[in-house]
Amino acid sequence: MEIKIEQKEGIKIIKLSGDLDGTNAEEVQEKIIVHVDSDSRLVFNMGKCKYLSSAGLRVLLIVAKKLKALGGKGVMVNLLEEVKDVMEMTGFSHILPSCETIPEAIVYVKKEG
Amino acid sequence: MERIDIYPTHEHEGIRFRRGKPLPFGATIVPGGVNFSVFSKHATSCELVFYKKNGKKPYAVIPFPDEFRIGNVFNMIVFDIDYEDLEYGYRMDGPYNSELGHLFNKEKILLDPYAKAVSGRGVWGKVPDWNNSFQYRSRIIFDDFDWEDDKPLEKDMKDLVIYEAHVRSLTRHSSSDVKYPGTFAAIIEKIPYLKELGINSIELLPIFEFDEFENSRIDEETQERLFNYWGYSAVNFFAPKVGYAATGKYGMEVDELKNLIKILHKNDIEVILDVVFNHTAEGNEKGPYISYKGIDNKTYYLLTPEGYYYNFSGCGNTLNCNNPVVRNKILDCLRYWAADYHIDGFRFDLASILSRDQNGVPMANPPLLEALAHDPILGKCKLIAEAWDAGGLYQVGSFPAWGRWAEWNGKFRDDVRQFIQGNRDVVGGIVQRLQGSPDLYSDRGPTSSINFVTCHDGFTLNDLTSYNEKHNSKNLENNQDGENDNFSWNCGYEGPTDDPAIIKLRRKQMKNAVTILMLSRGVPMLLAGDEFCNTQFGNNNAYCQDNEISWLNWDLVKENKDIFRYFQKMIAFRKQHPILRVEYFDSGHNETGLPEISFHGTKAWEFDFEDPSLTFAIMFVAPANKYGTREDEFIYSAMNMHWEMHGFELPELPEDKNWYIVVNTDMESPEDIWEKGEEKRLENQNELLVGSRSTVILIAR
Repeated sequence: MEIKIEQKEGIKIIKLSGDLDGTNAEEVQEKIIVHVDSDSRLVFNMGKCKYLSSAGLRVLLIVAKKLKALGGKGVMVNLLEEVKDVMEMTGFSHILPSCETIPEAIVYVKKEG
Repeated sequence: MERIDIYPTHEHEGIRFRRGKPLPFGATIVPGGVNFSVFSKHATSCELVFYKKNGKKPYAVIPFPDEFRIGNVFNMIVFDIDYEDLEYGYRMDGPYNSELGHLFNKEKILLDPYAKAVSGRGVWGKVPDWNNSFQYRSRIIFDDFDWEDDKPLEKDMKDLVIYEAHVRSLTRHSSSDVKYPGTFAAIIEKIPYLKELGINSIELLPIFEFDEFENSRIDEETQERLFNYWGYSAVNFFAPKVGYAATGKYGMEVDELKNLIKILHKNDIEVILDVVFNHTAEGNEKGPYISYKGIDNKTYYLLTPEGYYYNFSGCGNTLNCNNPVVRNKILDCLRYWAADYHIDGFRFDLASILSRDQNGVPMANPPLLEALAHDPILGKCKLIAEAWDAGGLYQVGSFPAWGRWAEWNGKFRDDVRQFIQGNRDVVGGIVQRLQGSPDLYSDRGPTSSINFVTCHDGFTLNDLTSYNEKHNSKNLENNQDGENDNFSWNCGYEGPTDDPAIIKLRRKQMKNAVTILMLSRGVPMLLAGDEFCNTQFGNNNAYCQDNEISWLNWDLVKENKDIFRYFQKMIAFRKQHPILRVEYFDSGHNETGLPEISFHGTKAWEFDFEDPSLTFAIMFVAPANKYGTREDEFIYSAMNMHWEMHGFELPELPEDKNWYIVVNTDMESPEDIWEKGEEKRLENQNELLVGSRSTVILIAR
């Protein structure tokens, strides 16, 4: 799994490419979690993430919960249909919301509340 | 502070491990690793066998050092495990002596009886690789599902309207209009429909992991495969059926099922599981080694003095439910489903088996049933028994209950079927059934009675009125399987017909049946699809049919919207009248000065309880104070199951009230049932004409 981080309008966009599963979950979590501090606004670009295993999903959820605890905000964008369905069917979608496009995602995380 | 026991002490083939904890059983994630614990009283040694996901050969085999065994429990903590990629099993060595009940075979790799997830049948119907020596593989799960504020709904039993459904049958048909047909997730898409119908509890046929390929065979004629479709044959009792999960191929069935339950709860629908503890999928002497047989055959199964399997289940073996180890396992299992899955209730398949002792003899106070009745974690769960078994034990009305157990009331089904068919001899039974079966449950109350006319076992309601005989040839058992005493009547022609008179009569009979069901005290249960005339084409035992015989055809909802509407309004009627939903058999005179329940013949207040009859009426009189209604309520229902019309003299009402008609099954939709507030005032307040084979309900306003 490749992780690329870019800034757009002051928002960190974290692009995850490849499969996120038990083999790299811990490493990915460590790499993302350093970007989480109070009031962080993060967009996860999932367009190149074809597969999220149970452990992979949980990485995102742990990040989401931590963000929330610190008053930050996160959103996923460009989810592939199957990944999105899996998140919905397993009840994870309410923890980390998703948007269709990056501009929408930026507007979403910039909004207060 | 860090614990000092999070470091390994041993190493074998590069795997690091240490002494574990005997409890809890199964595989539990602990700091640094996973604790494995398994019981066997008679094994002499045990090995833990590790596979990578889908691996053909084990990547590690770790023998339990003898000092890791406490009593009869082998335990160890293994470090550095990739939970998601691990499939594990056990190998046990010990005596092989079938006369003594021991069948140890150290070559067999065995499923953990406490596995929380099982792989090997990840996608429904995908033919397994039979050469694989490890078919059903234990897996480790994350049990951190985010339930938010959900909890079991704890509805009062008296208010339930249960809907019995098979997960796959519910949405597998092309007409279902769901994204992932036949899955847990797809049920979510049917919730708006279920709410529209008005049910508030869904009872799912078995969802514990089973093997649809058990005894599967190919129909030479059609080349279709027959499956173990219903799944009354658990491979494991803690793991959900992977093949029912759209996310099963990713191993996320646990979360998908939990999410379904959470969303059903959000929509005010309870979830009851049909659980099968009476036997396992390991069959008899010729059956496969899956788990229990190789772990401790003598403990887990009821065996004859010669070491053969008792077969009280009709399925090859009988679980030794009142052995303390097995009893605790069942208790652990139900607690797990209640606590971790927020299950609202359980229906126990062939529950009478659970009352047999270790020699197969029925007990007066079976410890397992008592333990379940008093268990603290199950304290608010519904416990429902199928109060008979395949060994001849029939306990309807006498199932050991401790004030907690309800029963599937088989007498309700038989009496109602016979009465609407025109059997005048069962009228005495119907009088009891309408009151919640006080003849059976006098000291337990009406909520002990789960009332039903149809269930998965037997004809659908449509078929009950369309077939005299079962038509099970597609089960490839020469039509020998399935019940023969169905009390069904085809109304004049066997199977589908264009004859309008027959069609009309069938619809009337269906309405008569659901009217009696919804009017009766006790807890009504509907079979999914009956509300839109779903057919199994005369098959009354579709246990093996993974096709249009079993799948609900949702196109029929449009075709039979009159029947759907009737069911919906009848459920609503029940919900509007608290006197029908009670916990006590109150039938004597109440503060209205009238009996709470009275029976009438074609003459008011005249009913001979001894006389066989096809015409009678029941009247409920509900005092406003007692039932919290705005004013006193009167419900009068005349039943004429005779093939000729009859006049009924109506009981006199208080001066300011008049009789209004709610239901007349003799009328065509929408005049067969009127919505609340739309009821029609009877022109003749003294006499009511009831058509042949018809039911009428009146209320007073």
